Amino acid sequence: MNDVAAATRVLYESTVTGVGGQVEEFLGHGLLIFFGESSPKELHDISVQHRPTVADEGPLPGDTIVLADHAMEILAVGEVVSDNLLNLGHLDLKADGMTEPKLPGDVCVAPQPLPLLKAGDSFRIVRGGTTEVAS
Amino acid sequence: MTDYKSVRVTKGRGGWGGPLTITPTEDRPLVASITGGGIHPVAQRIADLTGGEVVDGFSGSAPFDKLAVAVIDCGGTARVGVYPMKKVKTVDIHATSPAGPLAQFITEELFVSGVKPEDVEET
Repeated sequence: MNDVAAATRVLYESTVTGVGGQVEEFLGHGLLIFFGESSPKELHDISVQHRPTVADEGPLPGDTIVLADHAMEILAVGEVVSDNLLNLGHLDLKADGMTEPKLPGDVCVAPQPLPLLKAGDSFRIVRGGTTEVAS
Repeated sequence: MTDYKSVRVTKGRGGWGGPLTITPTEDRPLVASITGGGIHPVAQRIADLTGGEVVDGFSGSAPFDKLAVAVIDCGGTARVGVYPMKKVKTVDIHATSPAGPLAQFITEELFVSGVKPEDVEET
């Protein structure tokens, strides 16, 4: 009776409200920047703005970040990521494959094309998942 | 007429860039705290010593062309480059060095990092 399925837990859930003009160019650098929609408008050009509905906890390595229908395993998380995300809705996502964050604000995933989001898309961070069916 | 004074901001331990001399003017009176959780003590100290007007960038208005300085708590990618790109003097609480797609805009004349309140001195 120890085949308890670890339920997926949503740590953070948000809806994209706007996408800045420089975001697509940054995707070419493997970089996607988020800010809460109440952030200074001076930061909107370089970022995806969003409105969170769940903001319980920042990510840890091994969690999954889901952008629209694009799920990615988180490899590394810098030391200021949690404060940035919970206070400001801010997150720097880097598809650089690093397992130690280069900068304290980095969230690192495997090298891959990051999606160009649009208003209405979801942005989620989840922990755990359905476990393998016990044999 | 407000009589503004200057402060010198030097990099802290492990920091980069500067020193910067910050002097608010009639045209650029604002000391903007673009940080989480209200006005950062570094921004408050710069404002107190210079006579600039401190604003919380996340709850108030802080247009680029009104800023004497932007105080940020950036982990190294976004805010760290945006304000220097607009030629706004930028003080980072964290000890970051230029990085990211905006790194080209981050110069020693515009940017100083690793700054604590005691790194802000009257001139």
